[in-house]
Amino acid sequence: MKHLIPILSVLFILALPAASQAQCRSFAKNKCMPSMAPYKFNETFNAAQLAPGEEAEVDLTFYSGQEYRLLVCAHPILGNVNWQLADAAGNALFKSTADDPKDHFDFKVATTQKLKVHIDVPAAEKGGNNMLTVGCVGILVGYKE
Amino acid sequence: MRANQIIFASIATLMLAACGGDQQQDKLTVPATDSTAVIRSERTKSIFHNIPSPMETAGLLKKAGAEYDRNILNDVKNVDNYTAASKQALNLGIYGADLSYASVFNNTQESMLYTSCAQKLAKKLDVNNAFNEEVVGRLEKNRNNRDSLLSIISETYWHVDAYLKENQRDNISALMVAGGWMEGLYIATQVTKHHDTPELRQRIAEQRLPLVDLLELVKTYSPDDLAIESVLKDLEALQVIYADVQMPSGNSTVTEENGVATIGGTAPTASLTDAQLKMITEKVATIRASYIN
Repeated sequence: MKHLIPILSVLFILALPAASQAQCRSFAKNKCMPSMAPYKFNETFNAAQLAPGEEAEVDLTFYSGQEYRLLVCAHPILGNVNWQLADAAGNALFKSTADDPKDHFDFKVATTQKLKVHIDVPAAEKGGNNMLTVGCVGILVGYKE
Repeated sequence: MRANQIIFASIATLMLAACGGDQQQDKLTVPATDSTAVIRSERTKSIFHNIPSPMETAGLLKKAGAEYDRNILNDVKNVDNYTAASKQALNLGIYGADLSYASVFNNTQESMLYTSCAQKLAKKLDVNNAFNEEVVGRLEKNRNNRDSLLSIISETYWHVDAYLKENQRDNISALMVAGGWMEGLYIATQVTKHHDTPELRQRIAEQRLPLVDLLELVKTYSPDDLAIESVLKDLEALQVIYADVQMPSGNSTVTEENGVATIGGTAPTASLTDAQLKMITEKVATIRASYIN
């Protein structure tokens, strides 16, 4: 028993990331994907466990001739997140703020180009509880021919 | 009591990880110990490199006027030759792209053959949690319903990618993505040999953009993995050829057309010269041959 406890403790720590990521996949599938209809989901898994104050960024290629839905889906435990779509030069094309949240943006591009999605989870207010809150944020892209 | 609690928590966590994600729990609250608080207090940034999926690429090729040619796909008999994990991952991507191509062009019989190949490799790679007999059964059941078939294939690809990432096997995921992207480009270039259109050339030229992201993705792993290092060299060789391909840059205006937001104006489309197309076609064929043989 004496030896079993440290071994299991190590396994416990090692298994945590996989368990939380699996929860993230489940969240993205069950809570985010349904909002993608009637767009076809583009198959790539972009989701991360983020904490207040953290950021995520993804570069995406969008092709001319298709309509796209960009969906940012954050777990309610994080509250509303800020996110924006910007061009290669960093000019914002669409913004959603925690104060005025929108979960998706439907658009098309006149010319095939690369755009960047930036997400930041607003930092927790000072004096909050002492538990570190981590929640899943999914970035999903759908397209319509 | 304390020991029992640790054992119980450990077993519960391991079971949760092994079951792989159909749990309804979707949040994680971790006690903020000193060390995690320090790590988390730094403003960390997760950066993703997203490559267009094989299904999207196949759809673009179809819209660009490509035709279906079964002879250019990877032979299903090759599936048993892949014993190294790196080859299995590359060819899971390749067969996945072939499956998408066959399905988008409504070739049910071949879709089923490529499903079988992909599932075989997924099993060898221990990803059968995400691509199992149940998925094959669903595909078989929906073989005559193109939309359902495409939807199940997309969902399966997503689960495989996610499963690899959540189990810290991102390098295998990167190889699969690289194999799928290379096969998409191979199919496009081979199709132009008999059906050369400006639209197809445009789609091949536009691959310059995702190639940059694929390079960034693969570079993340190169120091530790020989297979990744080799793929990185292949991609760099392709990038040298693509360096001369002109890509029009979109501007940042957003207008509305028929109720849909439209980004960019009327910039010209990307194109390829005959020499560029020839060089890309030959290079991709050489690289792809090294992956499937």
